[in-house]
Amino acid sequence: MLGANPIESLTSGFLLNLELFVVTLLLALPLGLIITFCSMSRFKPLKWITKVFIWVIRGTPLMLQLSVVLYAPGLLFGIPMSSRFTAAVIAFVINYAAYFSEIYRGGIESISVGQYEAGKVLGMTRSQIFFKVVLLQVVKRIVPPMSNEIITLTKDTALARVIGIGEIIMSAERFTKMGLIWPLFSTALYFLVFVGILSLLFGWIEKKMDYFRV
Amino acid sequence: MKKFIAMALFSAMCVTSLAGCGNSNGTNGSGDASAEGGTQAAASDESDWADISAKGEMTIGMTLFAPMNYYDEDNNFVGFDTELAQAVGEKLGIDINFVEINWDSKEIELNSKNIDCIWNGMCSTAERQETMTLSEPYLYNTQAMVMKADREDEIMQSVDGLTVTAEKGSTGEGKLQGTIADDDTVEVSAQEYFANANYVASDSMAKALMEVKAGTADVALVDSVAAYGMVGPDTDYSDMVINVDNNFGLQEYVIGFRKGSDLEEHVSAAIDELYADGTVAQLAEKYNLSDLLIENDAAATEAAPEAATGDTAAEAATAVE
Amino acid sequence: MAILEVSNLKKNFGNLEVLKGIDFSLEKGESLAMIGASGSGKTTLLRCLNFLERPTSGQIRVNDKVVFDGADARTLSEAEIRKNRLHFGLVFQSFNLFPQYTVLKNCTLAKELMAKERPDFRANKKQILDEIKTEGEAVLASVGLQEKMDYYPHQLSGGQQQRVAIARALMLQPDILCFDEPTSALDPELTGEVLKVIRGLADKKTTMVIVTHEMQFARDVSDKVLFLDKGMVAEYGSPEQVFEHPKEERTRQFLERYFEQ
Repeated sequence: MLGANPIESLTSGFLLNLELFVVTLLLALPLGLIITFCSMSRFKPLKWITKVFIWVIRGTPLMLQLSVVLYAPGLLFGIPMSSRFTAAVIAFVINYAAYFSEIYRGGIESISVGQYEAGKVLGMTRSQIFFKVVLLQVVKRIVPPMSNEIITLTKDTALARVIGIGEIIMSAERFTKMGLIWPLFSTALYFLVFVGILSLLFGWIEKKMDYFRV
Repeated sequence: MKKFIAMALFSAMCVTSLAGCGNSNGTNGSGDASAEGGTQAAASDESDWADISAKGEMTIGMTLFAPMNYYDEDNNFVGFDTELAQAVGEKLGIDINFVEINWDSKEIELNSKNIDCIWNGMCSTAERQETMTLSEPYLYNTQAMVMKADREDEIMQSVDGLTVTAEKGSTGEGKLQGTIADDDTVEVSAQEYFANANYVASDSMAKALMEVKAGTADVALVDSVAAYGMVGPDTDYSDMVINVDNNFGLQEYVIGFRKGSDLEEHVSAAIDELYADGTVAQLAEKYNLSDLLIENDAAATEAAPEAATGDTAAEAATAVE
Repeated sequence: MAILEVSNLKKNFGNLEVLKGIDFSLEKGESLAMIGASGSGKTTLLRCLNFLERPTSGQIRVNDKVVFDGADARTLSEAEIRKNRLHFGLVFQSFNLFPQYTVLKNCTLAKELMAKERPDFRANKKQILDEIKTEGEAVLASVGLQEKMDYYPHQLSGGQQQRVAIARALMLQPDILCFDEPTSALDPELTGEVLKVIRGLADKKTTMVIVTHEMQFARDVSDKVLFLDKGMVAEYGSPEQVFEHPKEERTRQFLERYFEQ
């Protein structure tokens, strides 16, 4: 009654988790910064629209957002979403960009106004001040909260199964349906190993930026 | 940004419709009904069959479970429903695309056109008759009690004070809670039988068995066809048994289409042909489901009442092993 | 000819009038000490000179050129402000060094960024950057921190950090160097080294505007003293005039209170 080798099946499932993780990070990290700038914009309507957007995204379950992205095009316009993975990527990128943007904003606002003023009186432009003076300090400040969020993302990728992405938990549940329990619990090892690697990486980054204090 | 707002608003809508789909107890709120009605009306305006034949592909939503849709030892995608659907595809001259879905979202998958039908050992219920267009039934299913082998005698004597579990939204749950009315195939009313037992809902039938295995529930009430796919000597449930002594009634497996879809006629016509040329019977035999097979109206009418007796079905279910 | 002329400068924060029409001028090579109680508007005045606050009205002229005019303040573009601002340097009370850069880089960063805008930068990149670096080393030597140039700000004492901040401001050779209470954030034993640097600059005839609470220092170093009270110039003159023979009763009271402590 058993299908493919559980280990192979779990591994190929986890590759999907990793793919979703990497694509989400690559797109959400820069999108988050754009959202941050919008939410800190001096143009009030843009600022408030962004705030409402962040409120909605952070205020609704990711699981629900996944369903909205996958089903809305078909239900509203009769044009079904072409790929489930694309739907998952869209939902994850929007969700995580909203969270990242708030972390970025916190980081940017924590930089003392004196740093901006010092840049100004030295004749720097706004973008020079941001990129040459503020950015690295912000990065140092946000590494710990970003590490947290990125580790959460690793595990959240498993939620993609609600729209039928055959990620690791879904792969494991196939075996549960065939009467094998252990694959479900072994999925923990995959996550543990990967999060372990991430933790080492973040530790290394923090150490790399130990040379200065903010 | 406008798109984001639109999406945000839509998510509010979606909460309502998802809640509607998850609600399997037949209490259709008027709000849900009108929302579904709207999308269904849109769907029936056009011809599903025209779209599908133009694309040359039909997408079937399913979950993996033996013996209906599963992977065999050589990692081939097989099963009674799998092979029957593929045979239908050949008859219709279209490709069959199987998509693994989240069972809780099957109605929304259909309405959003992400899938064209649900073909996955799905029981016919009054609610599904309302929300979907269903095919003629093709297989019987019964409800089986699954428990630890060493407690079978004790549990079969009385379930009073014990904990029973079933998949949320499943036939088992409906029978236990009395939301699915007992019909004339019922010998033992599940609601009365488990009247003094505690009920706990599980996420899936597989989780229901895990509850029993873990001891957090004493007995699970699940589809017998599914149970035989899960419990067996080379599984983690080898210490568990399936008991079908109590006939809690027969259910019928059907294929679900979008409400009002013309795809149903074409698929049913193809199935009629497959009944006639013996393909259906061969497949039933291959997967040990012969005794559960419902004879085709067009082919033979007298065989149906015979198979409809609970005992035959129960024995047949045992034979599946 | 006056290097700096401020006339009828006003600044409101909402309904609050912080500066109520300030007039004064400063000759090249002079150092001006600005004193007054907290809340008198002296820091605001200094920030207005550096365009960190935009005055509500009035005029600021440097070398007879108008760098700010309240009458057409709206016409001032960001780029113009940036250019005019460079007439002034500013040393902050809390140093505001860039923590991620070495002491040397703190001094050279702004100049390097400006050099990049030069048309010949690409062609002579290495030479230009070398020149800036040499300048940075020289200016650090002038505040006695040449051997600390590869350190990061957090590795230095407060006094040393403030000396770096002074060097950083000097790098751009401003016409007028401003100090906003440069020793207020320092432990008492560290103020001396900073005051010594400022005194050295005065000796070299650097034009300076110094907001300070160090009365003794103001008296010794400055050529002019400006006593600000409730947003108005209460007294303006030589240190002898202001400290020994104040014309106004409120100046006397302020100084008495101060020297009692």
